[in-house]
Amino acid sequence: MRVLVIYCHPDPGSFVAAARDRALAGLAAAAHDVRCTDLYSDGFQPEMTATERRTHAVPGLASDLQPYADDLQWAEALVLIYPTWWSAQPAVLKGWIDRVWVAGVAWELPEGKQVLRPLLTNVRRIVVVTTHGSSKFVNAVEGEAGKRTMTRSIRTMCSKRTRTTWCALYGVDDSTPQRRAKFLDRVERTMAKL
Amino acid sequence: MEALVVVAHPCDDSFAHAATVRAVAGLEAAGHSTTLVDLYAEKFVAAMSREEHHAYLRDAPTLDTDAPTLDDQAIRHGELLSAAEIVVFVYPTWWSGLPAMLKGWIDRVLVPGVAFTFDARGKLRPGLTQVKHIVGISTYGSPRIYVAAINDNGRRTITRAFRVSCGLRTRTTWMGLYAIDTRTDAERTAFLDRIELKMSSI
Repeated sequence: MRVLVIYCHPDPGSFVAAARDRALAGLAAAAHDVRCTDLYSDGFQPEMTATERRTHAVPGLASDLQPYADDLQWAEALVLIYPTWWSAQPAVLKGWIDRVWVAGVAWELPEGKQVLRPLLTNVRRIVVVTTHGSSKFVNAVEGEAGKRTMTRSIRTMCSKRTRTTWCALYGVDDSTPQRRAKFLDRVERTMAKL
Repeated sequence: MEALVVVAHPCDDSFAHAATVRAVAGLEAAGHSTTLVDLYAEKFVAAMSREEHHAYLRDAPTLDTDAPTLDDQAIRHGELLSAAEIVVFVYPTWWSGLPAMLKGWIDRVLVPGVAFTFDARGKLRPGLTQVKHIVGISTYGSPRIYVAAINDNGRRTITRAFRVSCGLRTRTTWMGLYAIDTRTDAERTAFLDRIELKMSSI
């Protein structure tokens, strides 16, 4: 399968970076065709510009973002690896959605229609690998906003049959080395089975 | 009361900015001392840096200082937030959530010492207990029923995740204009009027 890995963390030495390495190892073991994007090392600018906003109904995107759109349209599976902050994606990852999932890439609005037509029907698998500082209970009370953005909102622009997998380590701030190691094993296993 | 209004929209002639003007007018009419933070106008940087992330994780082995290495702008915004009794967010909902600009503000300003503290036993304590009222004002491209099906994730981030850092009795008010692209001018005006009225009664 053609797999696009989107990784977002400011620290190359972080636990999330370790999870990415294990995800890539799992994908390599299964001989998938992989492209990996590191949004922070790319210096991805997350803030949508005024020009982008004013032309958001017009198909196309800022020319420097074209490679990101090409990757999205190439992928059969999306693997998103990031820390959950304040119940949602870090700003840099949210900015990648805001600025790359635009008209002509992720959706189109056919003439005279009210409902967007999905364009990323090439994507039929979404896997999220994330860490939460707080417990599963606290996240449930807070409403799992980030999870729903991934498994519902962006999924609407992918294939109707897109399967989603949520691979999360809750309570990472208080986690033991054993739990962390177990989680990394799970990440690699999940990717190898993709 | 001290009110802080935070707006995130790239275009200064946007409906969100019109809503901001009316919200500020309502708050001032009610006698609240209001501070406006326009994130795009201030050229706020949404991305949390590696240094800031280290500072955030106070127990990180690489952290060699006690003071979070935040930039002046984030520190100033943190001080405004710490003084605010009313916090108003104005933004367009994109992909069911906050624009990256506003999410970045939350990522970088809601740090230890501002959003929460640790007590003597190392337990997490809310840091914004002086906030009595949280208000969200947002526009949506989708109709309300669709927003409900996908989940209003931006709203949840503000009224739940952010609210956890506030007091137990902190109230929340939500004002949304749904399916904005199909709204008539009269409906938009009515929404703006409703914002000013509501803000003047807080």
